[in-house]
Amino acid sequence: MFWDNLDLLISGLATGATYALVATGFTLLWQTSSTVNFAQGDFVTLPAFAIIALHAAGLPLPLAMLGGLVAALIVLGAGFKLALVDPMLRHGMLPLAIAAIALGVAVQEGSKAVFGAEAFAFPGVPGGFDLGPLFINWQDMVTIAAAVVAVIALQLFLSRTRTGRCMQATAQNPSVAQILGIPVRRMIMLTFLLNAALVTLAAILISPTTLVKFDNGSSIGLAAFCAAIIGGFNQVRGAIAGGLLLGVVENFAATYGPDQYRAAVPMVLLIGFILFRPQGLLGRATERAV
Amino acid sequence: MATDAILRLDDLVGGYGRMTILNGCSFSVARAAITTVIGPNGAGKSTTFKAIFGMLTIRSGRVLMEEEDITGASQMRLLARGICYVPQGRNIFPELSVRDNLELGGVALGTARAMRPRVEQALDRFPVLRQKAQVQASTLSGGQQKLLEIARGLIAEPRLMLIDEPSIGLSPLMVKEVFATLQALRDAGVSILMVEQNARSALEISDYGVVLETGRCRMTGPARRILEDPRVARLFLGAEVDLDDAAQPSSR
Repeated sequence: MFWDNLDLLISGLATGATYALVATGFTLLWQTSSTVNFAQGDFVTLPAFAIIALHAAGLPLPLAMLGGLVAALIVLGAGFKLALVDPMLRHGMLPLAIAAIALGVAVQEGSKAVFGAEAFAFPGVPGGFDLGPLFINWQDMVTIAAAVVAVIALQLFLSRTRTGRCMQATAQNPSVAQILGIPVRRMIMLTFLLNAALVTLAAILISPTTLVKFDNGSSIGLAAFCAAIIGGFNQVRGAIAGGLLLGVVENFAATYGPDQYRAAVPMVLLIGFILFRPQGLLGRATERAV
Repeated sequence: MATDAILRLDDLVGGYGRMTILNGCSFSVARAAITTVIGPNGAGKSTTFKAIFGMLTIRSGRVLMEEEDITGASQMRLLARGICYVPQGRNIFPELSVRDNLELGGVALGTARAMRPRVEQALDRFPVLRQKAQVQASTLSGGQQKLLEIARGLIAEPRLMLIDEPSIGLSPLMVKEVFATLQALRDAGVSILMVEQNARSALEISDYGVVLETGRCRMTGPARRILEDPRVARLFLGAEVDLDDAAQPSSR
């Protein structure tokens, strides 16, 4: 029993770690540019398809991943900001959120048209090792390790470098950041690029498990959205905690509860938090002064 | 006061979107003196600051710093030119440390290493900030946060500080401290342009006063003269000021 639960915990943490990456990007976009990116889940699918396509075209896997990252930086980072966020945000947050929903639909239907409705295998790390009676997947270990490294690197960048602090300043108080001569627009662009890198990493880590299918984004996006809110919505640390919690709870619920309700877990958790702890795991009860 | 002005506004017209707030606003700011802008709500006091600091669409007119045209200049250029702006309200970065907040005051002006002595100097000047240098800025009291904002502005080693409603929300004791800080800066040669709702106490520490109404400068002169002017009181009651008609009693 103990070992079974430990097994569930580890694979839950691995899934949760990828949720955390996606939720972190989601939170960063919200913080610096009031973008509620409802297409965030589909942002994970696109690099996965790009990497598969590049790999199938003959590129070795590492190069295909690099190509996927570059494509994501251009399309999901700079392109998304310049072509959709900048024009829509002028009309307010809600029009932008709706446009993002539309973008998600377009990405799903577009990738179905190009790649079809089948699920594609994505190369991962095969095998595992025995730990007592427990078999540990290398893929889970690699996923957790890569996510931990990425999150620590991101935190160090945000807190220790001058550019990172300027990004934090932009997120916490954009008008004052501007008054101090911080290049606010450049900092916001940087956030979109960071988000593109985070979703690409998430795509690489989660796709061996979930396979790559045109509509994968719906569940990942929902999970990331819920993880961000559970964590407190405006905090990177919160998004990480929320993602991990959600991954673990989802895994346990799917094992001990009816499997067909697995997809409902994020929503149930979300409703629970909104009712009983609306400030989230790490959020504060008070609104930030503007 | 026009003899030695550090800043001059020349017939500024501008506003937000299609709304015009400044309707040909002209006045000058004396060097190494405190000039306080007063006027009723909606007179364009804060808007004037935003216009000076490149944060407003200016439709016509000019802003001149020592006769150099800086109309609509970038914040980076304004800071390099020696102007800093401390806006109204709470303007710290709440989740960064006090020291990080200060360092961000020099981002536009040089490398972190080059700015380090200035940060140390600011911490020396405000011992209360040095005590709390490593803690999150959100834990400071309202008055300490205002001091932090002033200290952060000083990192730019400004020759002109624009400060909007520094006393708002502060205890009387803290207001005194903030005003004393401004006076010390003035004595050190910094020119200060201040907007204050608390007009009487602001004018009492000021050298000059400027009265704005409906986006125009209605009166300017030594602070004492503004303080003693009967028309100023009427203006704050919301009545129209007719400078040619000042002797007639108000109908109210």
